[in-house]
This record gives sequence, C-alpha cells and structure tokens, in this order.
Amino acid sequence: MKLEFKSVLPFPLQDYHHAEESVWKKGFALNFPSRVMLNASSGKGKSTFVNTVYGVRFDYDGTVLLDDKDIRQFSLHDWIELRKKSISVVFQDLQLFGELTAWENLQIKNKLTAHKTDDEIMLMLEKLGIPDKKNQTCKTLSLGQQQRVAIIRSLLQPYELLLLDEPFSHLDEQNSAIALDLISTETTKNNGGFILTSLGSKHGFEFDAELKL
Amino acid sequence: MFRNSTNFQFVFATAGALVGLTALLLSFNLMLDVRSFHSSEKELFGPNSVVIQKKVTKLTTIGMNNTEFTPEDIEMLRSKEFITDVAPFQSADFKVGISEVPGDGLPHFYADMFFQAIPDRFMDVDVDWSWNENSEYIPIVLPRDFIMIINYGFAQSQGINQISEELLMAARLTIHIDGNGKKTTMIGRVVGFSQKISSILVPESFLHYANGIYSNGNIINPSRVFITTKDDSYGELEELMDEMNLDISQASIDVAKIKTIITVVIGIFGVAALLIMLLSLMGFVQYSQLMLSKVSYEIRTLIRIGYSVKSIVMTFIIQMIVIFGIITVCSIVIMMIVNVLVVNVWLDENGIHLEKSGMGPSVILAVLCFGLFIGSNFLSVRKTIFKLGKSS
Repeated sequence: MKLEFKSVLPFPLQDYHHAEESVWKKGFALNFPSRVMLNASSGKGKSTFVNTVYGVRFDYDGTVLLDDKDIRQFSLHDWIELRKKSISVVFQDLQLFGELTAWENLQIKNKLTAHKTDDEIMLMLEKLGIPDKKNQTCKTLSLGQQQRVAIIRSLLQPYELLLLDEPFSHLDEQNSAIALDLISTETTKNNGGFILTSLGSKHGFEFDAELKL
Repeated sequence: MFRNSTNFQFVFATAGALVGLTALLLSFNLMLDVRSFHSSEKELFGPNSVVIQKKVTKLTTIGMNNTEFTPEDIEMLRSKEFITDVAPFQSADFKVGISEVPGDGLPHFYADMFFQAIPDRFMDVDVDWSWNENSEYIPIVLPRDFIMIINYGFAQSQGINQISEELLMAARLTIHIDGNGKKTTMIGRVVGFSQKISSILVPESFLHYANGIYSNGNIINPSRVFITTKDDSYGELEELMDEMNLDISQASIDVAKIKTIITVVIGIFGVAALLIMLLSLMGFVQYSQLMLSKVSYEIRTLIRIGYSVKSIVMTFIIQMIVIFGIITVCSIVIMMIVNVLVVNVWLDENGIHLEKSGMGPSVILAVLCFGLFIGSNFLSVRKTIFKLGKSS
C-alpha cells in the first residue's frame, strides 16, 4: 500500500508556521510494509494526520493519495471496506464502548472480521497484563488499561497499515515496549506496516522511517 | 448497546400506534360491512333506485305545461355522473278495464285501469315475471298501498267484503283491452305487491306485444322515470330535484339520506383513525431519531471500526419489526374481540343484521400499515446513520 501527501494542509493549521521538514509543507510518499515514526510536539496536528488518513476528517487543502487514488473520492462503503480489511487504528481518545466490558469491546470487532480465536485474544490480554480486566466495563478501567484494550482491538483485523495515535501515552516504558513488541509481531504476521505518532520517545524501537510535523 | 432505551416517548408512540391502528382496522371493517349491504341482493334499505316524476302544478292542471320527460330530459339524466341507470316507465297506449272472473271468489266489479311496465332489473318483488303469447295469464304487480285503500277505505265505506292478499293473488281477473278499433279480453293474475312502485305493472314483453296490436298510434313520452344513483349521492339528487322540479317519494329520499349519513360518519371515524395512525408514525420516527442521537457515538464508532451502515440499520429495524409486529398483532386481536363482543352484540340488539364481510381485508390492511411503519422508519434510520457515517 502506498500513502502519499501532496501539499496537504489542514484548515486549523493554516495560520501556524511550519518547519521546512514538516510533512504539511513538503509532503511525502511511503510504501508499506514499513514501520514509521511520526514525531511531533503537542498541537502540531498528529491526531489530525491520523484522522485524515483514516478518512474521518476532510477539512484540508491538497491531496491525500492511497494507492494513487484520491481518498476524497472514496465512498462511505469504500471506507468501511478499508477499515475492515486494510487500515486499522488506535485513536488517541480510544473510542471504546464504555458500557461494554473489555471482552465485549474486543468481540464486537472480532465478530466482524473473525480474525482471531478467543484463545488468541486471551493470550494478547495476558501478554499486555490485563487478563483479569476481561469482564470489567471499559469505563471503569484506568486509561492505561483502556489503551491496552484499544491496542488489542486494533489488532483483531487484517491490515496493511496500522495508525497508532499516541497509544502509549498512559503506559510506562516497560509496558510500552511490551505493547510495541506485540504490535510489531502482529504487523509482521499481516505483512503490513504502521505509523506511530509520539511526543518524541522511540520506546527503544528501530523504525524504517521517520516523519516530522 | 441499545439497552436502557425505554422512555416516555416510546410508551406514547406505542400506545398511539396501538390505538390508531386498532381504530383504523375497526372502522375499515365496519365500512366493509356497510358496503356489503350496499351491494348485496337482500339489502337493508333496498337499492338506490328511485322513481322520479315532475311535480304537478297549477299550470299543469290548466294544460300550460306537462309532466312528460322529453328525450332531451332523459339524455340529460343519463349524462349525470351520479346516476348509473335510467329507465323510463312505458305506458299502455290503449284502454284497460278489469273485472272479476265469475266463480273465483271476488265480488262483481268493473274498473277502468292503466298498465305500465319497467325493465325487469328494477322490479323490487321476486315473482315469475315472464310472459309470452301462450302464457295462461298476464302477471300483474300492484302497489301494496292499493290493497290497503281497498280494504280499509273503499270496502268499509261501500259495505263490501275485505279481500286478503292471498285471495287476490289466487283469483283470476278479466282484462278488457280496447284500442286501435279492436277489443279483446284476456286473463290476468296479481302475482305480487310492490312496496316502492306506485303503479300497476305488467311485464315489458306483454306491453310491447299489446301496444303493437292495440296502440292508437300516439307517441307517449314517459312521465315517470326510474333512476339508480350511486351511494352517498344524496346531495346531487336533491340538487337535481330542484333543477328539474321533480317529485320523489320521501321514503326513497330518506334511504338515500341515511346511507349518506352512515357513510360520512364512518368515513370521519376512519379519517380520525388515520390521523392518529400518522401521528403515532411520526412519534415512532421521532423516537427512533432520538434513540439514534442517544447512541450516535456508538454508531459512529461502529462505522469507524468497520461495521457497515446496512448491518447497523438492520439491528435497529429488527427491533422496530419486533415492537411494531407486537403492536400489529395486538391491534388485530383487539379488533376481532371488539367486533365479536361489542359491535356484533350491539347490532344484534338493535335488530340490524349485516352480512359480515370477514376479517381478511382488515388483516391485509394491518399488514400494509406494518409495512408502512417499517418502511418509513427504515428510510429515516438509514438516512440518519448514513449521515453519522459520513461525518465520522
């Protein structure tokens, strides 16, 4: 999968001064599978970047191309198909169902894709250290625990590109490294890639490329 | 996900739909019943056939105008939209007298008479009405009032015996015919009495035959005409009466009036029921919109993690189908119960016997309403979810 930005500039960021190397100015083209780090301080538009690529917001000038196709031309149906089979995401605000348990939140996704068995999902929960939170409603979990549920949910589908919007902001370095390891393993299985936005920490990981905002 | 969605609006919409649908089905059923006695042979009020004639006025008496219907008048009646059938009375163009057949039990009498004929389809008495040249006798139908006048007026004042209907029908009559320079006598027999037509009727076939032989050659325009009107056309009939200065028997007008009133009343009930239905439909659409806006975050998130609009719409619609399915079934059951326990009992107590038209059409109407509810909710829900998806 090829992702390309051509003179993309979101409306809310038009009045800011952007550095020369910022993707908002010079654009970029990436081929996946590759593991990409998107590094920027607060307010530079990391979430805007993720939401734009995921087809959630369209308030920008310029063109975003996915496999050489303008994503503005995609229908809602096209997006839904992409989100089921090709692009996955961990939103910064996670977007879990607070009324449902952690397990139900994961099942809602896996029922749609049938990507993993219950045992495999259980193994993921264990690996991230929250197997005991399985039957707790998400609104009662801590932010760090919710982040881990959201990460697992994003892995319950095939993908060529996984968008991770500050997924470790409430995790310590050790847990972040474990989570990143899980993500990396799954990405390899999917023969896909990911873009991870971060405030600067590389979590001790070797990335193929780095973007700046 | 859509748990905890019960609220007042839902209760009101459900109650409204239940009341509205039940009322609609009931009035529809009643309307069908009323229709069925409109159209059946043995009707409660008789068909919408009335005899019209022009009013006799002072001018008529001194010969300044006449009460005949000219061919133009007839054509005008035929062109009226609410009149479905027009048949002028035909008159005998010869002199008629009747007397008893000696030995048949009637006292000796002789009376001048007249004969008229109407098409068979307008006959309101069920008698053997066929006649040909080889027939033993000419069937005659008298107005029922005629025998009343004889028995309770004429017979008493003249001191002669009263005659029962059975006797009159059993006795033969001698018919004296005089016209076109020829005279003859034939045998006739009273075969029935008409409630509606105040004339002395013989079969059309006889009148044709007799006019052919004994006619004096006059062209007689009919002075009375039979018309059949559509249901609920009382207003137009009244207008026509004024326009052509017509006389119509009050009884037949009353029937037209009653029919019109009944149909209008049931119609109003039906319209009211329809309005309740539509209101509750709007209530349901509003309710589903409210529900959607309450769970808009969930819907948006489902679309973001790859759920199709269709599958989310279906989840909603299946709920709607269950809710409204229950309402529809309840409505049908309530309608049946009310029909059997209230309407039928009430009709029986008031001595009205209707040919029940069955529940089939009402059930079909209920299913149609069900479809309408689901369809309109489906469209509304899909539109909203699509909008939510687009904005995600």
